[in-house]
Amino acid sequence: MRMYLNRFSITTYFQSGVAFAVACLLLILASSSPSYAIPAFARKYTLPCSACHEAWPKLNSFGQNFKDNGYQLMNDRDSPVYIHPSYWPVAMRTTPHWHFESNGNVSVDSGDTSVEQTINTSGFDLGGIDILAAGTLSKNISFLLVTSIDSGDGTVGFEAGNVRFSNIKDSPWFNIKFGKAELDLPLSEKRGMTLSNNGGELQLYHFLPVGDVTATNPADNQLGVEFMGHSFDDRTRYALSVVSSDGGNVGLPAGRTYDVYGHFSHGFASGNNLQRLGAYVYYGMQPTFFLTSGGEDIPGTGSGNKSFYRVGFYGSIYMGAFDVTGVYQHASDNVFLGTETAADGTPLPEGAKDPAWNIVTVEAHYTYTPRVFFLGRYEFVRMSQQAFAEYPSDLGNVDVFTIGCRFYPFINSRAGLAWHTEFSSARSRLTSDTGQDQRNNSLFTGLDFAF
Amino acid sequence: MRNKQLYLTVCMVFLFPAFMFGGTISGTTTYRETDTPMKQKVIDMSKEPTCAKQHTTPVMTETVVTGPNFALANVVVYVSAGAPDEGAVPTQAVSYEQKGCQYIPHVLVMHVSQPIKITNADQTSHNIHPMPKVNAEWNKSQPIGAPPIDAKFDKEEFIPVKCNIHPWMHGYFVVLKTSHYAVSKDDGSFSLPDLPPGNYTITAWHEKYGKLTQELTITGNESKSIKFAFKATQY
Amino acid sequence: MRINHKIMFISMIVLSLGSGYAWAQNSGIASGYPTPNDGLNPSAQKGHGIYLRYCYGCHGLQGNGNGENAQWLDPKPRDFTTGAFKCRSTPTGTLPVDSDLIHTLERGVWTSGMPSWRPLSGQNRQDLVAYIKTFSPRWQTEQPGEPITIPPETEVTMDSITHGHQIFEKLECWKCHGMEGRGDGPSADTLTDSKEQPIRPYNFADATNSSRFKCGETNEDVYRIFMTGLDGTPMPSFADQLQPNDAWDLVHFLRTLQVHRRSKENDVLKAAGGKIPATPASSALLPSALPSHSEALESGNQESRRQ
Repeated sequence: MRMYLNRFSITTYFQSGVAFAVACLLLILASSSPSYAIPAFARKYTLPCSACHEAWPKLNSFGQNFKDNGYQLMNDRDSPVYIHPSYWPVAMRTTPHWHFESNGNVSVDSGDTSVEQTINTSGFDLGGIDILAAGTLSKNISFLLVTSIDSGDGTVGFEAGNVRFSNIKDSPWFNIKFGKAELDLPLSEKRGMTLSNNGGELQLYHFLPVGDVTATNPADNQLGVEFMGHSFDDRTRYALSVVSSDGGNVGLPAGRTYDVYGHFSHGFASGNNLQRLGAYVYYGMQPTFFLTSGGEDIPGTGSGNKSFYRVGFYGSIYMGAFDVTGVYQHASDNVFLGTETAADGTPLPEGAKDPAWNIVTVEAHYTYTPRVFFLGRYEFVRMSQQAFAEYPSDLGNVDVFTIGCRFYPFINSRAGLAWHTEFSSARSRLTSDTGQDQRNNSLFTGLDFAF
Repeated sequence: MRNKQLYLTVCMVFLFPAFMFGGTISGTTTYRETDTPMKQKVIDMSKEPTCAKQHTTPVMTETVVTGPNFALANVVVYVSAGAPDEGAVPTQAVSYEQKGCQYIPHVLVMHVSQPIKITNADQTSHNIHPMPKVNAEWNKSQPIGAPPIDAKFDKEEFIPVKCNIHPWMHGYFVVLKTSHYAVSKDDGSFSLPDLPPGNYTITAWHEKYGKLTQELTITGNESKSIKFAFKATQY
Repeated sequence: MRINHKIMFISMIVLSLGSGYAWAQNSGIASGYPTPNDGLNPSAQKGHGIYLRYCYGCHGLQGNGNGENAQWLDPKPRDFTTGAFKCRSTPTGTLPVDSDLIHTLERGVWTSGMPSWRPLSGQNRQDLVAYIKTFSPRWQTEQPGEPITIPPETEVTMDSITHGHQIFEKLECWKCHGMEGRGDGPSADTLTDSKEQPIRPYNFADATNSSRFKCGETNEDVYRIFMTGLDGTPMPSFADQLQPNDAWDLVHFLRTLQVHRRSKENDVLKAAGGKIPATPASSALLPSALPSHSEALESGNQESRRQ
């Protein structure tokens, strides 16, 4: 079948998939008895990483409860005065790796014209470096500060900076977080178990139809205030966030509108397992034009605000060491955003409509031990309504399939190391310059470590 | 001839009891002559005036109690192997008294499961806190005028006992599987009588200086003498 | 032949599901490590896997409280090999019943490094208890003690508080806890626990412990603490000295030492002017003579039971 024009045929993909599956199996057999991810928490509370994380960084129910309590164990010794003054609540994480990227049907100059061909590249690389400071300022007041350094140009971004007031009126139902923070998402990308170019980001949050300019996606940390609450045993949880429509960018670059995010879930125990059902919605606004000065947009003067939303529900099922989460989301952006039209009187293209799409994300994990972890994910995005009338109905549809494994040589209460291997393959329909499908593949192996 | 018979009969009459009741192992427990034993300190009981006033002379700690001729007191000497009669549990209780904020005796030896009666003769409350590793640890308060506390231990062990309220109070419950035991006196002397014939391992235990063992055999009702010389350290 | 990604992926899911379910027999929530049989019953075997995930860092692989982090902890983690536990409903010197251990796992031990393990499932906690019981041979040879009977609480009155104050003085609790319960009694500085580690008596007037105790926070919990003692610590059992009514009086008085806690006892004290008289107003509550040993037994304060 001549579907794949690139050098790496599917048999080779399968072979490389089998190869690292075998490698992972060998790692299981080689694993010995345990010796004994924000590691700053492990140092403060002398708990091993496996206490809070199924396999770090993915949280288990104990770790989620710790986070929901405002990074507190609620033992009346959470305040930093009970720790030796030399303790600093700082941790760092980065991932040197080797990766292979294959991008299909990329337009490449060829004389006066261009042809489409597959671009392959590979080599050793370094992921961004995160420096995390998190903990309590005093009892029931906690903070998180995450700076991330781009390993390419060395620029420092502030991924998170927030203060949380927890257990207001001694009730776990009232907590307020203020600042830049991750939304309370059903599947966290910040604590995601995938790192590759194609697998590291969830289409659930990042997908945009062709031509759509909506800049905000729920996976980026947002600037705002979050009201959050949970039952005493953390089975029932709700979160309500009001954030500026800046997509998490500082300096008030967009307009003066606000986005809203809500999430509710309930977990119920069955034997040894905790199952969870939940629903969420993100409703946002984005300006379509700015006032200008000398032809340049004036930041903060965003006007012609149009809306977009994401709404979904999900279920997480645990069966012993195995768990699977399925998310269904329906999304739609306003036609002005979908067609990059300024709502200042500019007419819309003829027949333009609000782009809408449905996403199903299924992610399954097998946590053989806290030290051996497998992941498989399948996402498919199906456009239900295109923005432009002339677009084919399946333009931009995406299928992504990712498998990975993480092996942790040790679990202790100070630092963490994981050998992360991942393969991800994404296909988007008809998105090449000549209307062909584009297939992109990533193969990743690296050492993810944190101290 | 008649005199000889009379003489033998008289001897048998006098020796018969000894023949009936078995041999004796006795001796002394000492520390080696070249060693310097741990110095004992004066106990400051000023925080408990009701006890302090009971003592006219300074009270010393009792970790290492020595006597003349390098004698080592409070050594428990007992038959650790070879005795045929370990099983019988004596019904008579041993008593442990708290008096003058001290334990009397400092080392109380008993048979496994033998009852202990603990009394408080002081005008202050004490708590009795044995700290075993094999037996069950317990901790009971015994206020002024409280009735005696009954206790027993079912497994062989050397159990330190303390009072938390009065941190200088230290003693030992020594729970043994045998009734053949003795505690050496201030002059280091001890005696293990009534031993049937057999091959015996005798162990001597001191709370600071550990254990020594010796083996000997009793064939009849002879008296044998042994010495235990502990290696003593200053700390 | 084209291998359909979807089919491959779904078949891998099914394969993992099947093997995952098979493995699920050996693991728990946020799964524990798969562990060998080792002669343990199935519950203890699962508990072993969960213990390795959550507990070994402090309590150690041998359960003796010598985990890799123990050297930096104060108070030290529990040594399970002795069978002595602080928070029990059974008399001093006896093994706790399973519910005592489960409650400790659910509650945690406040003001210590032991967190509340409520987010784990109830089955997890039972499995952990089954495994913890394998660390000490005492569980093979002894039965747990009989939980003490706690009679219904008596009324909170000024007389009850006054009598409790008298008991506090007569039993000399103040020798460790101090006259105001601030943990500053004459013996407080020299207290050591059964591992010879320095330990402070409970400070009733301390606001930073949220007026909670290591073994609970209700009046019943306070009753239980001094009637069973905290094994492993200097805190003894007063079961032989106190009748139930006296014990409730002592509870009511102790609550008034917790000056930062809003309580019925503090309200009653405040309404009576804030000072505790030397003797109760009612003559019916003149200081009782300490009961004889046999009286104490008959009243239900039980002697520890050993087999």
